[in-house]
Amino acid sequence: MEFLITSLLNGAIYGMLLFMVSAGLTLIFGMMGVLNFAHASFYMLGAYFAYTLSGLFNFWVGLLVAPLLVGAVGMLIERYMLRRVHRHGHAHELLLTFGIALICEELVKLFYGDFPVNYQMPAGLNFSAFTVFGAQYPFYRLFIGMVALVMFAALLLVLTRTRIGIVVRGAERLPKMAEALGHNVPMIFMGVFGAGAALAGLGGAVAGAFFPTNPNMAIDLGVIVFVVVVVGGLGSLAGSLVASLLIGVFTSFAIGLDWSIARLLAPLGLGDWAQSVGGPLSMTLSSVSGAVPFMLMLIILLVRPAGLMGAKN
Amino acid sequence: MSGKKLFLGLLAAVLLVAVPPFLGLGWQNALTNVLIAALFATAFNLLMGQGGMLSFGHAAYYGIGAFAVLHLMRAVEGGLPFPTALLPLAGGLAGLVAGLGAGYFATLRTGVYFALVTLALAELPHALAPHWEGVFGGESGLSSMRMPSMGLDFGSSLQVYYVALGWTVVCVALLYAYTRTPFGRLTLALRDNEQRVRFMGFDAHAAKTLVFGVSAMMTGIAGGLLALSSETANYNIFSSHVSAQVVLHVFVGGSGLFFGPVIGATVLTLFSFLASEMTRAWLLYQGIIFTLIMLYAPTGIAGVVQAHIAARHRLPWGRLAGPYAVAAIGGLLAAAGTVFVVQMAEHVFSQTYRAAAAQGRWGDVALFGLTWAPHNPATWLAPLAVFALGIVILRRVRAPIARLWHGGEDEADTAASQPAHGAA
Repeated sequence: MEFLITSLLNGAIYGMLLFMVSAGLTLIFGMMGVLNFAHASFYMLGAYFAYTLSGLFNFWVGLLVAPLLVGAVGMLIERYMLRRVHRHGHAHELLLTFGIALICEELVKLFYGDFPVNYQMPAGLNFSAFTVFGAQYPFYRLFIGMVALVMFAALLLVLTRTRIGIVVRGAERLPKMAEALGHNVPMIFMGVFGAGAALAGLGGAVAGAFFPTNPNMAIDLGVIVFVVVVVGGLGSLAGSLVASLLIGVFTSFAIGLDWSIARLLAPLGLGDWAQSVGGPLSMTLSSVSGAVPFMLMLIILLVRPAGLMGAKN
Repeated sequence: MSGKKLFLGLLAAVLLVAVPPFLGLGWQNALTNVLIAALFATAFNLLMGQGGMLSFGHAAYYGIGAFAVLHLMRAVEGGLPFPTALLPLAGGLAGLVAGLGAGYFATLRTGVYFALVTLALAELPHALAPHWEGVFGGESGLSSMRMPSMGLDFGSSLQVYYVALGWTVVCVALLYAYTRTPFGRLTLALRDNEQRVRFMGFDAHAAKTLVFGVSAMMTGIAGGLLALSSETANYNIFSSHVSAQVVLHVFVGGSGLFFGPVIGATVLTLFSFLASEMTRAWLLYQGIIFTLIMLYAPTGIAGVVQAHIAARHRLPWGRLAGPYAVAAIGGLLAAAGTVFVVQMAEHVFSQTYRAAAAQGRWGDVALFGLTWAPHNPATWLAPLAVFALGIVILRRVRAPIARLWHGGEDEADTAASQPAHGAA
């Protein structure tokens, strides 16, 4: 019971963090068809900008201003780089953002060094929210989850209930029509890209204070975020929320379970044999928890290639 | 034309065989790495350039090939009679099997989704290898020794170079021959119009799986050569950095031409050999070069050269020489400004300098044979001005060059190739 609840809680929070980063990616992908390889770099930039700002001013300034800075970086990249290569096709856009991701990683290493920086949450947020089975549960984890929930609600409301949302969705479905109605479609795309980058930056600014802020954080998270997009389905915001939570919870459970194929075979009297064969038969689930998202993705691909909530493509 | 090509090929072969004995150990190793990278990039480009499938996970087949060869090497050490020079065969076989399996899944999807699936598939061995003692040797990896065979002791790096040369030349030639077969033509058709391939009665999924398998097989041979030359491998060979490097090689060289990847692999491998000794920021420069090529010369180095060769009779070379020289100067100025700022930043933001600065010692920085004061604004503003001047020159010279190129040629292709000259 204790294991169940702690894993569920941690998994859900980690899933919400994944959602914060993948929401912007899903938004950009759904709108512009651009698979942004630099998206996890925006997450990393958010954490580093917030670290610098929190040193100069305080944590809250960093939390609010860092996403705006990352959004500005995203808009510049869209305006002066992505738009140039648009006519070469989506594969080319993907390669360009891949190059930008490499540059971001190396720039961070150049200015901040090749080691984690000491970005910390303020003392005011560093307390335990409640105790689960005798263990203190940090409030900041809940804070990360709350920011993500607010973000999801705000995104949903803006996209479905406001004029901006109508224009943005119109520009996505029928760009020519939106243009004819007098809307500046390139400007809308730039805004959406900036907004997506800012969302990732917010994720970094919030999460960087709890998890380590280091130059590898983009690569570590980057691949998983793409898994979220594939599992969730083509540009579906709700899909990416479900996929994020699934991956978060599965990974969290896997970390705590020492199951192995050898143990499953033990009741059949084959346990010792499997143990002696070794390799994947004796590997515990906890030691390969990093591979769980990818296995989940392969299963989804086989069962439902369009993703959980994606339209058939 | 064909005779000229044959002559160039023979010249290259003679140089590749005759020159390395006179080079130092470092250069011999570097050239071996160039050969391996060239084979890896060509194998990758079978999938990307000809099949139209962008893989972000080719490190998987590279690594699997390397580990397969290491296992065979250990068996040879244990007494199995197997010629050392043929060891990479094991890498090819393992790559083929892994590639057919992974390719079956990956080719279920197309476009960017395909890239994502290959990326995730490559993460599987990366996550499993450190925990799988028997096959991947756990965290520390596997090592082995090259055993003497067929009268050679394989102790010197020159002998390893020749083994790599032989395998690379044979495999690249086979890959070239592949493009001339009917199945090679079908591969191109899969890239250009998969639906039509299906309507013609071919099983597109099976064909794509097979292309994936062949590409993975050649990649496995390249990985095997790496294992043979370094005699060790660990799970880091599966990391996304390895997959990223081959993408860089192929697109900097140019994916549209068969020998483009060879050019990219050669240029960037030699660049890393030379630049990594001079600066820690060489990966940053590599990323900048890649991004500039994606922005301004999307067909890569080979594409730009090809465009010039194709238009050589039509272009007014006499009138182009001036603007080209000006563009080169602009590019050099922009590059010089960038390099200076990056190198200064590397010094000033380094751990040792920051620790000293925290105690109030803002010492001068020695760079390019001179000393510079980091707190003096001129130290930063002057290179920025040089950079800006270079950019202004490049922007100015674009229009005249585009005008000279005009005459039915794609304007973007020509005007675009210019800024990359200076940076590359």
